This record gives sequence, C-alpha cells and structure tokens, in this order.
Amino acid sequence: MTFLQALALALLQGVSELFPISSLGHTILVPALLHWNNIDRSSASFLAFVVVLHLGTALALIVFYRAQWYAIVRALARSIVLGRLSSDRDERTGWLLVVATIPVGLLGVVLEHPVRRLFGSPAPAAFFLLINGLIMFSGEALRRVQQRARARKSKPIDRLSYPESLFIGVAQALALLPGISRSGSSMVAGLLCDLDHEHAARFSFLLATPVIFAAALLELPKLFSPQAHLVLVQAIAGGVAAGLAAYLSVAFLTRYFRSNDLRPFGWYCIIVGSVCFVLARKGVIT
Amino acid sequence: MRVVAIVLAVVFFVLGILYGTGTINYFTESGAAHSHHVTHLVVMWVLALLCLIWARFQSAPRR
Repeated sequence: MTFLQALALALLQGVSELFPISSLGHTILVPALLHWNNIDRSSASFLAFVVVLHLGTALALIVFYRAQWYAIVRALARSIVLGRLSSDRDERTGWLLVVATIPVGLLGVVLEHPVRRLFGSPAPAAFFLLINGLIMFSGEALRRVQQRARARKSKPIDRLSYPESLFIGVAQALALLPGISRSGSSMVAGLLCDLDHEHAARFSFLLATPVIFAAALLELPKLFSPQAHLVLVQAIAGGVAAGLAAYLSVAFLTRYFRSNDLRPFGWYCIIVGSVCFVLARKGVIT
Repeated sequence: MRVVAIVLAVVFFVLGILYGTGTINYFTESGAAHSHHVTHLVVMWVLALLCLIWARFQSAPRR
C-alpha cells in the first residue's frame, strides 16, 4: 500500500463512517473500482492500519461530543453508585446508549466474520448499498406518514423508551452487512421512534462512539504484530487524516440535519450501488 | 430479580473464562484453531458487569 493510497483510504473511512453511506461498503468498492490490487485486505499490516483508522475516527467523535460524554459518564457513575435511576437527562441518555449498544455488541461478535466472508466482495456490497438507499427513502416516507397519522411532535433523545432504544440498537447492527450504513440505519430507526433529524443524528453519532472505539480496542493487539511496523508511517498519517475527516464530517452533519433529511444520501446510495452492482456483475470490478 | 442478575453475572463470567482459555469455541470465527478467544471473553465479561449493575439497581434502598 502506497502512502497516497493509505491517505485516500483514511479520508474515505473518516468521511463514510459518519455520512450515512456505509464505510465498509466504500472500503470494498473504491479499491475495487480503482483496481488497487496491491492491497491485501486480510494481511496483518492492513488490519493494523484499519485499527488506527478506527481509533482516529472514535477519538474525533469523543472530542466533538466531549462535554456531553463527560456529563453522561458522570451521570452514569452517579446512578450506579446510588443504585437507582433518576430523572437526570444525561443519565437517561447514558442508559439508553448502553441498551442500544448491547445488540451490536452481541451480534457483532457472533456474526461479523461469517457475514464478511459471505458478503465482503464488490457485488454484495453494491447490492446492499442500493438497499441502504431504499432504507433511507422508506424511513423518510414512513416518518411522514407516521407524523401525519398521529399528528405528533418530535421528541428529544431522553424521551426515548428503552424498547425504542433497543430497536435503534438492532437497526444499527444491520450495518454488519457491507453496504448498509451504521449511521443511516440507526438514524432511520430514530426517526421512526419520533426523533427529529437533528436528534436522530446526534443519538446515532453518540451510539457509534463506543462501538467504533470498542472494536478498535479489541483489535489493538494487531498493532503489535511483526508486520505492523511495515505500515507505521501510513498508519499514523492515516489515523490523523481519518480523525480530521471524521471531525469535519460530524461538524457538517450536525448542522446539515438541523434543516435537511436523508434523501440526498439515499439518492447517492441508489445510484452508486446500482452502477457498482452492474459493473461487478459484468466483471469490470472484482 | 437480584438473584437472577447475580446468577447471570456468574454464568457470563465463567463463559468468558472458558472462551479465554479456548475450552469452548461456539460462535467463533476460527473455532478450535485458536486457543484463546479474547473478543468473546471481553464481551462475556462486559455482560457480566452489566448484570452486576442490574443487581445493584435491585438492591439499592428505595427513596
């Protein structure tokens, strides 16, 4: 892997991890489209490189939401010490995040490797990217129908119930499929639970933080493999680039979702997914 | 419920150890090919911790 390839993959990871367009799908499709055949995705050095990219992305999210994470962790600790739930908003958000993290934690450990073995090639990734676009369009349409039928206003994150939080967590676990976006599926689930776009995006980003960080920490030993030092410079530069890209992405998206919806990303996924699927079926990308 | 939570915590803790030592290989990528399944150990222990927190919530004095 050359330095430029590493930098491009890092920027791609940082941006696509938070935009609802599937980072996993893009890291399969883009190298295939550009015919980067020199990258061995299963090599120890590449896996170490990916760990650093995830660490960079997770750190960017923690830095961006540092004040909220500080309040959440403090409220959770107080709740555990006292052994009871209070009406504190940060504590409630913290427990909702804990509940929503359980499904992806369990399903990730059980299904991640079999799913990637089955679907980790361009054609399935492109197909699921297309499905991801359709999920976003259906989510937006269902939300509009729901709001018209019930004439209900949106609610803030701390008004979610625990079953609703679990539902968002299960939706997030769909992102184990390459091409399905973690933030996209959890945002759609949030919208269906009566969150507005801004709160659904914030809950999705808060929810992504422990998952990305834990996944990176669990894979940390790969950084100390003998082959890892071969990509040390690329990994450090990539981690910084992924972190910066993720920080700018989350800053942009939190502003974007104050007054916009998921449909532009839905169009993007449908178009790119369809084109890549046709190219993969014709054997242009492998 | 407190007893259930504690029993579950112990079960998850023991399962974690069994995964860590490679005694059991259910739901692992490499099966018996690897002698240690650290990821599964960590997840089991996190579940054990959550059960202990659940037990703590059951035992605290009510206001």
